[in-house]
Amino acid sequence: MADFVQLIINGLAIGSVYALAAIGFVIVYSATGVVNFAAGQFVMFGTFAGVATLVNAQLPWPFAYGAALLIMALFGALFFVSVYLPLRRGSIVTIIIGTVAVSITMQNAALLSFGSWPFRLPSPVEDSAVSLGGAIISLHALAVVAVTAVMVAGLWLLFNRTSVGVGMRAVAQDVQAARLMGLKVNRLLAFSWILAAVLAGVAGLMLGPMWFADVNMGDPIALKAFAATIIGGFGSLPGAIVGGLFVGLSEVLGASYVSSAYKDLISFGIMIAFLLVRPQGVFGEKIQDRG
Amino acid sequence: MNALEARGIHKRYGGLAALADVDLTVKNGQFVAVIGPNGAGKSTLLNVLTGLAMPDEGQVLLAGQAITRMATNKRIRAGLGRTFQHGRVFARLSVLENVMTGAAIRGRLSESDLRDFSMEIIEQMGLADVAHEAIMSLSYGRRRMVELSRALACRPHVLLLDEPAAGLNSGEVDQLIDRLAELRAMHGLAVVLIEHNMGMVMRLAERIFVLNFGCKIAEGTPAEIQADPAVLSAYLGEGYAHAVV
Amino acid sequence: MAMRIPLQIATAIIVLGGISGMVLPEYHLRLLNLSLISAVAVIGLNFAFGYAGLISLGHAAFVGMGGYGLAILTTTCGWSPWLAAPVAIAATAISAGLIGYPLLRLRGHYLALATLGLNVSFYIVTSNWIAMTGGTNGIARIPGLALGSFSFSGEHQFLWLALMVLALIAAAAAALHKSRLGREMIAVRDDEIASEMTGIDTTRIKIEAFVLSAICAAVAGCLFALHMRFVAPEDFTYAHSITYLAMLIVGGEGTIVGAVLGAVLLTFLPEWLRFLGTAYLFFFGLLVLGILVFLPTGLVGLGQRLSRRSAKTPLLASARAPEATS
Repeated sequence: MADFVQLIINGLAIGSVYALAAIGFVIVYSATGVVNFAAGQFVMFGTFAGVATLVNAQLPWPFAYGAALLIMALFGALFFVSVYLPLRRGSIVTIIIGTVAVSITMQNAALLSFGSWPFRLPSPVEDSAVSLGGAIISLHALAVVAVTAVMVAGLWLLFNRTSVGVGMRAVAQDVQAARLMGLKVNRLLAFSWILAAVLAGVAGLMLGPMWFADVNMGDPIALKAFAATIIGGFGSLPGAIVGGLFVGLSEVLGASYVSSAYKDLISFGIMIAFLLVRPQGVFGEKIQDRG
Repeated sequence: MNALEARGIHKRYGGLAALADVDLTVKNGQFVAVIGPNGAGKSTLLNVLTGLAMPDEGQVLLAGQAITRMATNKRIRAGLGRTFQHGRVFARLSVLENVMTGAAIRGRLSESDLRDFSMEIIEQMGLADVAHEAIMSLSYGRRRMVELSRALACRPHVLLLDEPAAGLNSGEVDQLIDRLAELRAMHGLAVVLIEHNMGMVMRLAERIFVLNFGCKIAEGTPAEIQADPAVLSAYLGEGYAHAVV
Repeated sequence: MAMRIPLQIATAIIVLGGISGMVLPEYHLRLLNLSLISAVAVIGLNFAFGYAGLISLGHAAFVGMGGYGLAILTTTCGWSPWLAAPVAIAATAISAGLIGYPLLRLRGHYLALATLGLNVSFYIVTSNWIAMTGGTNGIARIPGLALGSFSFSGEHQFLWLALMVLALIAAAAAALHKSRLGREMIAVRDDEIASEMTGIDTTRIKIEAFVLSAICAAVAGCLFALHMRFVAPEDFTYAHSITYLAMLIVGGEGTIVGAVLGAVLLTFLPEWLRFLGTAYLFFFGLLVLGILVFLPTGLVGLGQRLSRRSAKTPLLASARAPEATS
């Protein structure tokens, strides 16, 4: 039982990271229609922004985290200008290949700057653990779940209580109508990319201490975020959260109770099953004309 | 026998009744028009007849056979044909190739037979000079004629035309009317025409169905429809004067 | 008359490939062979995506099925490659049909992600089903192909095999382009609803396009196994699927010449960027992005644009139809 509790917490922690990556992916997809195949590299950049500020520059952690997220925000803006704007009129496939091309460039930019040797990204709550009914739970895992909950609450407030968030929802619904209503559409689109990059940054900073910081970590995260998005419902924020947690739990529980070799097959099998039986996912709207 | 029949069709989208208990009967070789103001449910009716939308209630029969749940391509093989409101052609195929995709419906014809058969239709429809052109190089009006040729190449018994005159200039409309009249005389083809151009409707249709808010409000010969006060108030009020001129 | 274009394409492939084979050094010959193998796979992808519009990110899984099929039949079962190849290809075609039947109801990025999931699953299975696939160690000691006493095992000898197969596949694809099935696949992508309304069973056409694409992929997989004499899960990841798609887009989707050009270009590009040292992949990504942004119709589109500009005579200029937008 103690083991089980520990697995659940670990699953929720890794699932929270997937959820944040998936949320960033969904925000960009709903606002801009771009299926961002570089989403995993965004998270990898987040981890390495942490490596740069926390490990290399030796900043105290609040400043290091702030600086890392600022770097991610700037990166989101750069991505908007140099990748999204040139590609936005392209077909779905052009955008898929384009973001994959950028993803290759991002991965190799990290490789050139940091080398192929993995880094250890420390956590502010390094080595602390709490005992919960006999289970030893790492404080970092609990912190990840808590931070994600706070982020989700913040996003809810953003999308429901602020003019920027409501504007973003309007753009996601109908760009033309949003433009006619006098919204500054381009600014809102840019903001979606920045927000997605910052969320990926948070995910990356939290993931670093759980995995090693490795320049090749982007692809597996992207695949998990895609699975989470499909399972939860393409374009749905609650779906991204539920999907992310589900993928994280199935990975951790699958590895220990089924087979560690085939743990990933569970999430992808379920993703394909969802696509076949219920392509709108758990929370998505019924798809007819989409796609 | 009836070429095409719809019985008691109901179709709702959310809370909106797009069609409520609509009947339509088209006899073999008969030219029928369906008219009504925008949003009356005309295109929904065509979608139900062709299988792009499934009715909530009611039946569709083609030559006496129930086809209510049949896949669209099977209905076409069974003798139904349709063109679309804005004209839908295959952009990456030439005019001839567009028509050949329709002609190919008739089992295993050789390429040269397909070509000959399609060229015949292309010539009939006055497109021989552009047969080998890329379709997107044609004017909108001629593209719509290609679409019509493609539908005819499927050799339908019943052809459904969704506002074929929309977007055509007056010369093209006159040509279209002549072609449709010729076709009817030649093949004994039954036609269901949806059209706002009342001149065209009155010249071609033997029988007219009037839809309004998803309900059939009148049915009859052109003369009867013109005299029907319910139709006048519902629809012809604006269009009638224009049609008579 | 109908066979003119296929014959021209096949002849061009053999002549150009043959000449390259005589002038290129051994190492480049190896790349050339790999690019021809990719070209076979990309011509296949052109059926699914270029014609029928099915976005597949799982093409490499079918290449892998062909490659593993041949590898398992020749090593574990000890079959001759001549017998193993057609069986592996047929088995891949059947799998593609079975997978395609439920999957091809999906469109756009839903299909893209489903096929991506398929490719990832293929990777997981091949790297863990050790009894069958040898796991991550792969399968080595695949016999080479021989015809009588002539063995296709050297790079030069293999080049002729690859050229013949590619020429055959390209010619068949070109013939298909102008056939009823080719027209129907193109129609399905141009307008699915209008295709149904023309009596085309769009589901069937999509499955046929998918199976055709898998057959070419399996042929490429067999060639790959015969060339490398070794297969491993790393050779058939979803990254390879994306590379195939990138080859098709860069070359010019919807055309056979584009498929071949894209495969050759993207195979040699890393080699040409070698002077950049370890940074070459960084620029590779940027270059592909640049091609997508500045040459959206690929190399073939660029070629058409250039030749149109040089055709100054009014007669020629007016006879040419404006480019179809798709």
